[in-house]
Amino acid sequence: MKEMEIQFQLNGCDVCVDVPSDTLLVDLLRDTLGLKGTKTGCREGECGACTVLLDDIPVNSCILPAFKVEGRSVTTIEGLTKDDGRLDPIQEAFIQEGAVQCGFCTPGMIMNAKALLGKDPHPEEGKIREAISGVQCRCTGYQKIVQAVKSAGQKMDSTR
Amino acid sequence: MSYAFKDFHWANDIRVNEYLLPKTTAEALEMLAEYKGQAQVVSGGTDVIPKLRKRELEVEALVDISRLPGMSDIKQKGDKIILGGLVTHARTVASLLIREKAGVLAEGAARVGSPQIRNMGTVAGNLASGHPAADTSMPLLALNASVTIASTEGERVVDLPQFFQGGNQTAADSRREIITQISFSALGKNQGCCYLRLSKRRALTIAILVLATVVDVDPDEKTIRDAAIAIGPVAPMPFRARDAEEILKGAPVSKEIVERAGDAAYKESTPESSVVWGSDEYKKEMVKVFVRRGLYKALKRAGCPVA
Amino acid sequence: MSTKTHDHKQIKTLTKDKPDLQGLIKTSQMSPSVVGKSIVRTDALSKVTGKLAFGADYSQEGFLHGKILRSPYPHAVIKSIDIEKAKNLSGVAAVLTAEDVPGRNGFGAIIPDQPVICGDKVRFVGDGVALVAAETEKIANQALELIKVEYDLLPPVFDPIEALKEDAPKVHEKGNLLSYNKLRKGDAEKGFAQADVIIERTYKVPFLDHAYLEPDICMAIPQVDGTMLVEGPMQAPFTVRRNINAVLGVPINRVQARQISMGGGFGGKEDSPIDLGCRAAVLAHHTRRPVRIALEREEVTLQTCKRHPMTMKIKIGAKKDGSLVAFEGVIYDEQGAYASLGPVIPPAGGSHIHAMIMMSGPYEIPNVKIDAYLCFTNNPYGGAMRGFGAPQVHVAHEQIIDELAEALGTTPFDIRRRNGLREGSATATGQVLDQSVGLHDTLESCAKAFDWEKKYQDTGYVNEEKTKRRGVGIGMGWYRTSIGTNNDACGANVYVHEDGTVLLSTGITEMGQGSFTVLPQICAEELGVRVEDVRVARPDTDAVPESGPTVGSRSTTLMGNAIILAARQVKKSILEMAAEMLMVPLTRLESRDRRIYDRDNPDTVLEFREAAARCMANGKRLIGQGWWAPPAPSLDPETGQGNPYFVYTYSTHMAEVNVDMETGEVEVTDYVAAFDVGKAINPKALEGQIEGGVAMGLGYALTEEVAIENGYIQNLSLRDYLIPTSLDVPDIKPIILEVENKFGPYGAKGIGEMPNLPATPAILNAIANACGGRVRDLPADPEKVYWAIKEAEIPLD
Repeated sequence: MKEMEIQFQLNGCDVCVDVPSDTLLVDLLRDTLGLKGTKTGCREGECGACTVLLDDIPVNSCILPAFKVEGRSVTTIEGLTKDDGRLDPIQEAFIQEGAVQCGFCTPGMIMNAKALLGKDPHPEEGKIREAISGVQCRCTGYQKIVQAVKSAGQKMDSTR
Repeated sequence: MSYAFKDFHWANDIRVNEYLLPKTTAEALEMLAEYKGQAQVVSGGTDVIPKLRKRELEVEALVDISRLPGMSDIKQKGDKIILGGLVTHARTVASLLIREKAGVLAEGAARVGSPQIRNMGTVAGNLASGHPAADTSMPLLALNASVTIASTEGERVVDLPQFFQGGNQTAADSRREIITQISFSALGKNQGCCYLRLSKRRALTIAILVLATVVDVDPDEKTIRDAAIAIGPVAPMPFRARDAEEILKGAPVSKEIVERAGDAAYKESTPESSVVWGSDEYKKEMVKVFVRRGLYKALKRAGCPVA
Repeated sequence: MSTKTHDHKQIKTLTKDKPDLQGLIKTSQMSPSVVGKSIVRTDALSKVTGKLAFGADYSQEGFLHGKILRSPYPHAVIKSIDIEKAKNLSGVAAVLTAEDVPGRNGFGAIIPDQPVICGDKVRFVGDGVALVAAETEKIANQALELIKVEYDLLPPVFDPIEALKEDAPKVHEKGNLLSYNKLRKGDAEKGFAQADVIIERTYKVPFLDHAYLEPDICMAIPQVDGTMLVEGPMQAPFTVRRNINAVLGVPINRVQARQISMGGGFGGKEDSPIDLGCRAAVLAHHTRRPVRIALEREEVTLQTCKRHPMTMKIKIGAKKDGSLVAFEGVIYDEQGAYASLGPVIPPAGGSHIHAMIMMSGPYEIPNVKIDAYLCFTNNPYGGAMRGFGAPQVHVAHEQIIDELAEALGTTPFDIRRRNGLREGSATATGQVLDQSVGLHDTLESCAKAFDWEKKYQDTGYVNEEKTKRRGVGIGMGWYRTSIGTNNDACGANVYVHEDGTVLLSTGITEMGQGSFTVLPQICAEELGVRVEDVRVARPDTDAVPESGPTVGSRSTTLMGNAIILAARQVKKSILEMAAEMLMVPLTRLESRDRRIYDRDNPDTVLEFREAAARCMANGKRLIGQGWWAPPAPSLDPETGQGNPYFVYTYSTHMAEVNVDMETGEVEVTDYVAAFDVGKAINPKALEGQIEGGVAMGLGYALTEEVAIENGYIQNLSLRDYLIPTSLDVPDIKPIILEVENKFGPYGAKGIGEMPNLPATPAILNAIANACGGRVRDLPADPEKVYWAIKEAEIPLD
């Protein structure tokens, strides 16, 4: 098995790492780099628990060959919390609105919400539902997740 | 019946020995040639990677073409629209040009998988899957698109009907060749299109039925000059309902002609039954409904609604 | 069969029978300060930051990777098995076959009939025939592929009714009828004789997958003292432990089961950790090394238990005035290949028994006769899934009540208002409901919020093209708290430390439902501290008292009471100490919000932690242990009469749908769900249970089905097993009503499972109301709705 070096930005830090040819991004993040916040629920891009941002765009890291991130920037759930422990308004809203149950889909949901609110802080409900439609949740019925995204947008706007 | 080991056991890895990142199309083609059919082109990876994990596809190397230059644009040249081989579904949906001049493709691309899948997956990749219900194949088939395929032997252009060969096979051998672009005529005045999709849920699922239709009308005579109807999965490959189209060509716009087209499409469709995705009988019934609805909407958009 | 009538008056009402079990609810006249508040989840921060470790997030350092070789046939004799090549592969630590199981070669939640490793024959596609442990997952997979097994195929059986026939292939030697039970109330025959209208229908529901997002995983780690530690997401650590000890052939105290954070369970992680735990433990036992078995998504679907499919035949009769007089039902409950949680657990536990008890719905019917068969087949096996036995019968009773209403010329609302259970009603088992019966409150308040009267009139086409029609439907439901078995009890330990903080130790697990927030709320309320002062210990069979499984919507109520009892023991010491310190009579002391004060003179006050510190310094008790069992369940095996469960939660749902008359597509456009929950300990968490439950019920109604062809599942992955996405679920409006449960902590009763039960029939009834066609064989996917419309051929306006 051949190995190659990849350089990319991970949560704002430069990373340089040797990886075997068959590595998928989710395994690079979780096993090699120790960022376990990104989850795998299906390994075929269906459940969305593995969503990370690639240059601010949500992608399924479980079906993304690691080499695709060469020279690009990756943001994971760990990258949303500031160094001093301050939470992203979306994380804050997920807590306050009761949008978390088992928590397995939560990182994926939050990353999709992050991408959406980055483009549009006042999305209508339909847009929110569309933006999170690639993450399956079996616990919440999505209602409080939609509400959390809505209220995070409002909060982000008021602190701007 | 015989069953394979992979039908009951799954792995978490994709089992390839080499991951190649060519810088030019020529380099990519050479890499493929060197592997003599044991390497696979990968672009967004949304189709290829899951197949590798499930061992539905087994190759030694992946040739990642996603950084090849000049293949990521959507352009108009004369009345032709050219979609680069690396254009993603998300870019297609966002393109004003596509939305205005090939709305049916934008509508189809918008229904692929999920936002994450649309961000990575490409229209060319969707075509190359050869899947009889692929969401962008039907619009492109109705738009009479053609595909440019590059190999070490050079480039060739294949029209879509010939591109699809059934059984998830296409004219582009993704172990040796690369789809560099897709081109089709921009829709203009007196033309209308429509994309329809029937599925069990509203995201993250392949369709029970996909229909794309494009009509060209004479608004003064209130006749249909030309019509294209693409449907899937009602045959081993994306399917053009030629009998239905023939009925429409030159015919006056009327409820009756639309009904007749629906009945003809019903007759020429040969879907297969599936315990998960529905019976052949149901899909045939839906063909009738969809052809009718698709034509009504396309004719309306073309400025020649059925009275 | 017995037609013996039963006088329900013989069954004593619970509140009169068991006054000693009451009075747990109120400790002071004051309104609670922690209970009833929507406190944020104790685990929310760790979940939104991605820091909480699920099983797959644990270090794999030093672990061997376990894999299971699965049977490719639904029913076959194992002729030979050759493991030589696999054994010789470099990096393989063990390849095990049936003879390598050190103790009992069988596991199961109730009956250990499922082989850890099949030796003689296989009974479903996915049965384990060999186990491998290797240094990496890749090597383990290669080794599996090298094992050669020869089979002799046996004729399989895939239908429960077929399975009961004399000449059907036998799945197990004892025959295919695993359990049969019956219920006889009044005299059904006489009842039907009084009826003006009688209808008969058959309803069918398929296997369903839990589709929890976290795939199953288990780790077995041999300890230096010979103990086997097993870790993983699990709803029932004590059941896991008692299976592993037998499989390893060691005493119970040589096995330790520890629950780690669970990415959803819904009943499924009651069974699957037994399967993975036993297999990982056997591999660890042989290799003397830690072994990890992690399933891929497809393997989860293939290998683990499902919601039982049922065929339900019903005959129901009513008088012209709409009052129900007789009900007759037959349940064919498909257990699949192994007993799992299906069979009878006395007196009222088991899949078909739960179904039987609830089959006639939340209605008072004087004459009821039900027969329930639980049958083995060569399909995957049935286990618990959110409402064990009840979701299936809700699909049946809620639809037939609508069909009956139509036949009577009355409305779905009126027939329910007339017949719904009230305080004083007798259920099908003759149980007289003497308290906490809020069914009618839910019906009325749901109707008001939904605007039922108006919406019911306002159905019909919604678009110009006349292709879509709107309809509305009601689903009413009830569900037990507790599991109806004799051993249903909970233990809790409460430790107060000298700084006033608290460790709460229970065996109730957190799977997302919120027990690690609600249980500390109850503990904090009782002690008079803040919820952040209470830490919940991780459920670990070495460290927590036996609590039974986290199932049956029992945690808040049963464990809540155990916690109150435990907390009171500690509180007694603390208040006695405080009385001394404040020189105030004990009876006047109140503990609230970290302070202990004189009720008559609130300025005489002491910090809770000061009293705790003084207790510690003076050797006074700071540990409490509570144990609570509900009033004993009863169910006469001959008549099916008794008090199987001590309290019920009630609910009414109303759904509005649009049906595409040409394609059969359904869109749920409006939804209200009202519940009588006794008391909402944490209203926001409770709403979350409701909304999630409705979404699950929607999936059952419209999209979900484990599609099996000749024993082979056709939709193993999440791309073809279709749970609802954010675009499929409507806005759900939850309504919470509180009709106090005298046996519940602060009046609470169970809610975990209830929300998905009425959701399915509410949607099915709305579809029928919209389009005139009714789907009696789930799911009501577009095709089924389409054919139902065609079949109905109702002239529509």
